[in-house]
Amino acid sequence: METKKLTTGAAPRKLSDYLTRARDKAPAHDGHGAGGAQSVRKDSYRGHEIEIVTTYNILVDGRKIRAPLGVDASGQVHCHSLPNYQTASAVDMVRALIDGFPEEFERKPARTKSRPAASRKRRPAPARKSRPAAKKGARHEH
Amino acid sequence: MAVVRRNISTNPGVRDQYIEGVKLLKNEASGRATDEFGIPGAARSVSTYDLFVVWHVTAMMIETPPRNPAQRNSAYRGPIFAPWHRVMLMVFEQNLQRVLNDANFGLPYWDWAEDGDLPPQEQSAAAIWGADCMGGEGNPVATGPFAFRASDPSAFRVRISTNISGELRSVNRGLRRAFGVSADALPRTAHVTNALELPAYDSPDWDADANSFRNRIEGWMNDDGVSATSMHNLVHVWIGGEMLLGSSPNDPVFFLNHCNIDRLWESWMSRNGRVYVPDMEAGADLKGHRIDDPISSPLGRSATPRETLDVSEIYEYDALI
Ligand SMILES: [Cu+2]
Repeated sequence: METKKLTTGAAPRKLSDYLTRARDKAPAHDGHGAGGAQSVRKDSYRGHEIEIVTTYNILVDGRKIRAPLGVDASGQVHCHSLPNYQTASAVDMVRALIDGFPEEFERKPARTKSRPAASRKRRPAPARKSRPAAKKGARHEH
Repeated sequence: MAVVRRNISTNPGVRDQYIEGVKLLKNEASGRATDEFGIPGAARSVSTYDLFVVWHVTAMMIETPPRNPAQRNSAYRGPIFAPWHRVMLMVFEQNLQRVLNDANFGLPYWDWAEDGDLPPQEQSAAAIWGADCMGGEGNPVATGPFAFRASDPSAFRVRISTNISGELRSVNRGLRRAFGVSADALPRTAHVTNALELPAYDSPDWDADANSFRNRIEGWMNDDGVSATSMHNLVHVWIGGEMLLGSSPNDPVFFLNHCNIDRLWESWMSRNGRVYVPDMEAGADLKGHRIDDPISSPLGRSATPRETLDVSEIYEYDALI
């Protein structure tokens, strides 16, 4: 790369002009923010076409969370709002969401039917132990 | 003349300049306001530093190509990972040089594997987290140059973050870090050495399951070829807080981590030559990751992965691995 191309393009004005254009093009998280996320995995095996559609429906304290979770070909769970993380279990991903977005989980009265007070009491989280990661190629239920 | 990028832990002069430069960029108005980036709420001025936060979040939203099942985007989860971040770091370095008024300033790197070789319980006490460097952990971070002081509007604050859906939001709070909560320890020297032995930059299926140099350093797979959070990803996750989110450039340590990753890439190229895959023979399902595809950046359509392979005119590292 030539220095000149870099020095011209690095001006804050150039960056912000680029960003306003790029944001117009970025999809507004189709199918993500609307309260669900879908992953489609396709494979063929012995002449059969396999298609697995996974939708996560996640409740925390009775409230639906709008996190874009997906599962990749090797069964690893990924979440667009925690982009550098993958887990073998969606449960671990939701725990990380609670750590990463504390204000989104501030206690509000659950909108679902009233339950015995005990079940709403905050329990200490079980000790975090990293689970063995899924073997490549293995298929897990999530 | 190429600038030299040095280790932040052993170069106090560069360290102090980096801190100073970050603060200057954080306090420099970019001339844009939050509403121009679609951020809801009252329009607020966006600093030059925070443009890099918006850039990172935006790049991750651009799926390449749209709706690809591997969730590749214009910055992560595919071959473009190393070139996109190289461009981002060069643009950031240029801006640091500008506000520091020092054309010889080189972005420092954090050699995290040195700290990863320490016993896990000692890693959060490493020099990088000292009050004279990046400061420590907390919600908010309370030590070092980026400590939060509620009554001081000039103290370091996070102004643009993302919500749980990954969308940009205005906030006004201190920086957050939580060491070792979502991961036990940093990557070690052995992980770096093993990654550098991989002969292919990237390989099919060009995703988070590829057993290639790019995927290994990005950190979707461990040394045994098993899906795991490792290398670059592990550094994000071990630091926690801000670094977990799409808005991770909010933590100035983001750039030090990526500078080290860029140094690993440069080290790999010094062994294997300035080669990159996939080439333009690859199908449209890899659009955005092929050697002559434009990188999502302000440098225009001619800035491609091919253009980032030789940066000898712009910078070099004091030491490769
Ligand atoms: Cu990163």
